[in-house]
Amino acid sequence: MLEALQAMGSVLFDPYLLLLIFATTVIGVIIGVLPGLGATTGAALLLPFTLTMEPVHAIAVLSTIYVSATFAGSITAILINTPGTSAAAATTFDGYPLAQRGEAGRALGIAVVSSTVGGVFSVIVLCIAAPLLARVAYEFRPPEYFALALFGLSMLASISAGGAVRNLIGGVFGVWLATIGAEKTTGIERFMFGNYELYEGLSFVPVFIGLFAISELLVQSKFVHRAVAAVLLKAVQLPSMADYKRIWKTVLRSCGIGTFIGVLPAEGATVASMIGYAEARRWSKNKDEFGKGSVEGIAGAEAANNSATGGAMVPTMVLGIPGSGTTAVILVGLLVHGLRPGPYLFTEQVTQVYQIFGAMLLANLMFMAMGLYAAKIFARISLVPSKMLWPIVFALAVIGAYALSASLLDVWIALVFGVIGFLARRFGFAVAPIAVGLILGEMVETNLQNSLKMFEGDWWLIFTQPLAALFLFFAFLGLFGSAIFGWLRKRFWSST
Amino acid sequence: MPASAGAVARLMRHLAIPAIIIAFSVVVIWASLLLDLSPEMIVGDSMQPRVFPIVLMILNIALAATLAIQYTRAPPRPVEMEGVTTWGSIILFVVFFLLTVYVDMMIAIAVVVFAMCLLWGERRLPVALAIAIITPSSIFLLFDTVLRVRFPRGLFTNWYYG
Repeated sequence: MLEALQAMGSVLFDPYLLLLIFATTVIGVIIGVLPGLGATTGAALLLPFTLTMEPVHAIAVLSTIYVSATFAGSITAILINTPGTSAAAATTFDGYPLAQRGEAGRALGIAVVSSTVGGVFSVIVLCIAAPLLARVAYEFRPPEYFALALFGLSMLASISAGGAVRNLIGGVFGVWLATIGAEKTTGIERFMFGNYELYEGLSFVPVFIGLFAISELLVQSKFVHRAVAAVLLKAVQLPSMADYKRIWKTVLRSCGIGTFIGVLPAEGATVASMIGYAEARRWSKNKDEFGKGSVEGIAGAEAANNSATGGAMVPTMVLGIPGSGTTAVILVGLLVHGLRPGPYLFTEQVTQVYQIFGAMLLANLMFMAMGLYAAKIFARISLVPSKMLWPIVFALAVIGAYALSASLLDVWIALVFGVIGFLARRFGFAVAPIAVGLILGEMVETNLQNSLKMFEGDWWLIFTQPLAALFLFFAFLGLFGSAIFGWLRKRFWSST
Repeated sequence: MPASAGAVARLMRHLAIPAIIIAFSVVVIWASLLLDLSPEMIVGDSMQPRVFPIVLMILNIALAATLAIQYTRAPPRPVEMEGVTTWGSIILFVVFFLLTVYVDMMIAIAVVVFAMCLLWGERRLPVALAIAIITPSSIFLLFDTVLRVRFPRGLFTNWYYG
C-alpha cells in the first residue's frame, strides 16, 4: 500500500512527466472540444508520438488524453449543442438549454466539478479494485481466460452504438481479423495471400487509426457545411451551495453507476452517461426541469462519463480486456511499450502501474483547472472549420500509421480500414466492436487451444471449471438476458 | 403490381447487407478450407488452424441471417447518398497511394492535404497552400528529428536524406 502511494506521489517529482501531463491535458481538451475528434481518435492519432517515450510516460499520455477529452466534450455540448465526444451527448439535453437561458457559466461549472469528482472517484476505485481483481486473476488458467474473453465479446451486444446483432457481427469480424498471419502454435499461414509483412498478424495501430480517425474523416465530410451557433459565455462559475445541495446525491450515484459500467468489458463512457442521466431523472424531485436546463441532468451525465474512464481501466490493465474503444488503444499502447496487461503487471511492474494511476489522478485535477479558467478559449477552438481541421487529421493519420513499423503496408491498411469503417458506420455498424474483437481474437483462440490441450480434446470440460462456467453464464446473459427477461416479464406480468 | 414490385425491391435492398456478410463468410470458409493442415503430432488434442476461422464464419452467417430477419420485420432507415466531398476524399486516398508509390510520400501528403482543403470548401488558395506545406513539413521534422523515423525513399526524401 505504502509502495503504491509512493509510486503515485513520485509523479509529482518527475518534472518531465508533469509537463507531459499538462501538455497532454491541453491537447486532450482541444481534441475533446473539436466535434468528431473524440478520445479514441485522439489516442489512436497520438499513439505513434509516444513510441520513443518511457512506458510510464507513454501510457500516462494516452490515459490523460482519455480523461481530458472525455471531460472536454461537455464544453461544446453546453455552448454549441454539439457534443465534442459521444460521451457528452447526454450533457446537451440540459447543458445547452441552461446555456441558452444565459447560464452557460453555471452549466460549465457544474460539468467541471461533476466530471472531476467522477474522475477522481473512479481512479480511487481503480487503485483499490485493480489489485484485488489481479489477486483473483492469478488463479485464471486457459479455460477461465477463454470464458472471460467470450464474456467480453458478448458484452458487445449491449453497447450503445449499432444494434446487438450488428455489434456482434462487428466483433466476430474483428476476431477473424486476429487470425490473419501465421498461426501461433503450428506456424500455418492464414489469409496472408503471400504477403510476409503480415506474418505476425495485422498491426493494431494502423487498423485503429483507420477505423477511428480516417473513417471519422469520411463521416465528417458529410457535415462540411454545418453551421454552429455558439452561446455567449462570460465566465465559468463554481456551483453555488444551493447547486451543491441539489446535485451531490446525483453525483455520487452517477460515480457508482459510471465506474461499474466502465468496469464491464466493452462498455464505456457513452453508455455510462446515458444511464447516469436517466437515473438522475428517475430519482429527481424536479423531473419537469429535465430537458429544460436541469443542473441534476448535467451532473448525472458528466459524473457518470468521467467515472467510467477509471472503471474501464480496471479490466484493461488486470485482464487485458478493453473496457472501451479508447482503452483498446491504451491496451495497444501497453503492448507496444512491452507492458503485458494482466495480473502479473501488479507484481512485476507495480511501481509503473501506480505511476500511471497517479498520472490519471493528476490529469483529472488539471482538466478541472483548465475547465474553470480556460473553457472560453477552448470553446473558440471548437469553431475551427472542418475544411482546415480534417486535412490535418489526414496527414497525422497516415504518418502515424507509417511510424510504428516504418512500413507503407501499414499506411494502406489504415486507409483500407478507414473506408471499411466508414462503410460499416454508414450501414449502422459501430467500429468499436471490430477493434475489441481484434484485440480479444488472439486471447479467445489461444486459450481455447490451450484448454483443449489441457482437457485432452474434451472441450465440454471447460464448463466444469467454476469460474469459467460463471463467465460463460454471464456471457449467455449478456447475449440473451434482455430477450429472456423481456419474455418472462411479458408472460408473467401480463398474466398477473 | 407496381406496389408489390416496389416492396420486393425495398426488401431486396434491406437484405443486401446480410447477403454481403453471408457471401463474405462463405468466401472465408472456402479460403480456410484451402489452408494447409498441420501434422497431428503438433496439433495434438487442439484444433487445426482452419477450424477457428470456419467456426467464426458459421457464427457470422447465423448472425447475418438473424439480421436479415430483423430487417424484414423492421426495415432500417434508408441511407443518404454521399456527396461530392465524401467521394472526392476517397478518390484522394487513391491519389495519395499513387503519388506515394511513384513520387514521394511527403509530396503525396502535401498534394492531398491541399486538394482536400479545396474539396472541403476552402476558397482561399494561400490558406490551403499554407496548410498543405506547414502540416506535412512540421510532422516530418518532428518524426525525423525527435522520433527518428526514416520515411520511404522518393523525390523529396532522396534530396533530404542525400
